[in-house]
Amino acid sequence: MTDTLTPETTPTDTPPGWVPVQPSGPVPALAVEHVSRWYGNVVAVNDITFGLGPGVTGLLGPNGAGKTTLLHLLAGLLQPSAGTVTVAGERAWMNPPVYRKLGLVPEREAVYPYLTGREFVLLNAKLQGLADVDAAVDRAVLTVDLAAAAHRPIGTYSKGMRQRIKLAGALVHDPPILLLDEPFNGMDPRQRLHMIELLRSMAAEGRTILFSSHILEEVERLADSVLVIYAGRLAASGDFRSIRRLMTDRPHTFTVRSSNDRRLASALLGDPSVFGAELYDGVLSVRTSDFGAFTRSVPRVARDEGITLFELLPTDDSLESVFSYLVRR
Amino acid sequence: MTASNAPLRASGPGGSIYDLGYQGYSGPRLGRAYAIRALFGHTLRAAYGIGRGGRAKIIPFGLAALPLLIAAIGVGIAALAKQAGELGSIVEESSPIRYAAFSGLISTFVILFCAAQGPELLGRDQRYGVLPLYFSRALARVDYSLAKIAGMVTALLVLIVLPYIVLFVGRVFVADSPVDGLSAELPSVPPLIAQSLLTAGVLGCLSMVISAHTPRRAYATVGIIAALLIPSIVVAVLHEEAFGGLGDYLVLFSPTDVLDGLNAALFDTQPGSPVVLDIDLPGYAYLAAAIVMTLVFIGLTVRRYQKISA
Amino acid sequence: MIATMPITGVTLRGLLGRRRTLLMVLLVGLPLLVALLLRVGGNSIAPDEILSPMVVRTILPLVALVFGTAALGSELEDGTAVYLIVKPIPRWRIIGAKMLVAAGLTAALILPASVATGVVAAGVGPGSLATTFAYALAAAVGGAAYACAFVALSAFTGRALIIGLAYTLIWEGILAGLLEGTKFLSVREATLGIAAGLDEAPFGQTPLAFPLSIAIIAVVIAGSFVLGSLRLARFEIRGGD
Repeated sequence: MTDTLTPETTPTDTPPGWVPVQPSGPVPALAVEHVSRWYGNVVAVNDITFGLGPGVTGLLGPNGAGKTTLLHLLAGLLQPSAGTVTVAGERAWMNPPVYRKLGLVPEREAVYPYLTGREFVLLNAKLQGLADVDAAVDRAVLTVDLAAAAHRPIGTYSKGMRQRIKLAGALVHDPPILLLDEPFNGMDPRQRLHMIELLRSMAAEGRTILFSSHILEEVERLADSVLVIYAGRLAASGDFRSIRRLMTDRPHTFTVRSSNDRRLASALLGDPSVFGAELYDGVLSVRTSDFGAFTRSVPRVARDEGITLFELLPTDDSLESVFSYLVRR
Repeated sequence: MTASNAPLRASGPGGSIYDLGYQGYSGPRLGRAYAIRALFGHTLRAAYGIGRGGRAKIIPFGLAALPLLIAAIGVGIAALAKQAGELGSIVEESSPIRYAAFSGLISTFVILFCAAQGPELLGRDQRYGVLPLYFSRALARVDYSLAKIAGMVTALLVLIVLPYIVLFVGRVFVADSPVDGLSAELPSVPPLIAQSLLTAGVLGCLSMVISAHTPRRAYATVGIIAALLIPSIVVAVLHEEAFGGLGDYLVLFSPTDVLDGLNAALFDTQPGSPVVLDIDLPGYAYLAAAIVMTLVFIGLTVRRYQKISA
Repeated sequence: MIATMPITGVTLRGLLGRRRTLLMVLLVGLPLLVALLLRVGGNSIAPDEILSPMVVRTILPLVALVFGTAALGSELEDGTAVYLIVKPIPRWRIIGAKMLVAAGLTAALILPASVATGVVAAGVGPGSLATTFAYALAAAVGGAAYACAFVALSAFTGRALIIGLAYTLIWEGILAGLLEGTKFLSVREATLGIAAGLDEAPFGQTPLAFPLSIAIIAVVIAGSFVLGSLRLARFEIRGGD
């Protein structure tokens, strides 16, 4: 995954879907303001503020970080101990009408095992008060690709199928906002890809989608922006590459392939933007603390030394390294 | 490929294995007896919700505290009655601190404890699939069953014996002098022990055998209540319309009536249940029935765990 | 009402699983069996002598407990209740539907079983039939009240079954029998009062007055509905993480 190094790219570019909470301006689809939730002495969610609009946002965090608590607060299943949770401009807690605009795919596997897939989606459709329930049900079942198995009881479904039927139930009323708690659990790679495509297309239609996950590759592939939560606090938010660039106290690492690695290494070490260089096993790794200056120095140094650059790759500009850095602090 | 800092155990052109210091255990192993004792202790604590957080303790401790409270109140009333002289002796006659009357009173709490905690002790292991973990240890299947049963029966013994101790001490000190009191009360100790053991045995093992057969807590609870309540009701309605003399022996199939009859025989008093009063079987019949029931329940539980798939 | 129909259907199907249905049919069949055995033995007793101890005091609370705690409680415990909660319907509709099913099933089982038991035990003479129907009707009404109360209870706690049992065995079984003044706090006493009011008081007992019994049942049902709905409106689902 090569990054295009354009010096004009600034860290403050806002990725699609990212809407900071503002008192005046468009009403974000999902907004939490200084929200906290505690159980006695244990603080599960600690003073979190953000706003989300159309697009896909990933909620990342280690186990116990508060992802499910946050999602349940957004879904009106928990009362905030402090702060406000707003969905489409309305309060989420104790406000049943808000569920017309909200779909939730919970984490727990349990679904009514004695209902067929179709009956379950039908139940959801009826409880939503839809006018043409059959059409909506057919559409939802088709969207998640379960038309063939919809007549079988859910008790006979595999784990991935159960996830999909839950999604169908959450989609049947065409909600503009979708919350998914660990949606990729139990899915094989093909199902995961299908789900990613599905969510992407729904986001392109203008929906606001927030999902929590441990699987960093999928988040990297699917999410336009991320919310990193750790020990109940928001550790970072936004596009993960921008976050990476904001981590200035941690040197960036690049891998360089050139016509003469050894000479390039010693030349680079003379440059003030370079922190360290390592030639190991035929691979040149360079560490720099100043991303911007480095991107300007490397071509210049190479040209001065008469060395041809073949490849320049950021090796830790991945969500995984961002995540591990943030949660290890 | 960056190398780990750990020392190498083996390496070759394609990869390396690092020595992280894991070692096999070659020390002494505590063996089967220890495992059984450990499971027993764990079951006993789990029966009272110890080690599981506040909420799990409310029901078992609550059910255990009520008989203690009643016993204490009874002793208090008897003490006051003693002070009141002649009027008091009437109260004392009908006071609830006679052992026989008391056992009828607390039997309801014992039954509720069985219905509440039995499913907790056995249902969880079945529901969450941890039986393979137990059976792949030094613990044999029969050990598991017996340790669990022993834990439940001991928990019930605690619940039953503590109020009796309060009553005993109360009666000793309410008597004219402690020495007199002691000599008057000591003969009651063997019947008390027998009564406690058999009550805990019959009811505890019944709750265990039913809980062993279903992972769902609600089914087990209702099953235990039904198994105790229904035979006693059926016997109550049917016993008069005897099937010849054989109808009398029907009462031996109802655990609550058997314990009631045993109680009456041990303390030489009138039984609480009108059925037992009518039928008037010898005390040995109830004793035998109680022992047989207990053994049958234990056997069925052991058999269940021999056959369960894990 | 439209929104309650699907909930009623789902709850009904959930409660009538094979095992539970079998258990309940056996349970309500027991008094009938006993009545049959009595008749076969050549005896007959007054209907209230079998219906009062076997049905009202024993089977009725058990059946209502099973249906009442399972109607809402099993879904809350399994985690499937979330699909009912994240819907734009007021919570009282959910509670109402659950109570309807639990009370309805209880009454539907108890009523015919009681009538059959009474008829088998005491025949169809005018006096016996009147008593049989009085007790059967009272049991159905009392069962509905029990079931509604247990549905509401399961909205408050996951251990509704044991607490309901404790109420039935300890409170109704022992205490309310001892302390005359507290009889009005017992659904069992209200049920017996209704039966006595419809027919006549059994020899040697003083049941609660008929209007008072009706009022108690009404208060129990209405109170359960209100309290259960209020509680469910603020119901929180924590989740694992």
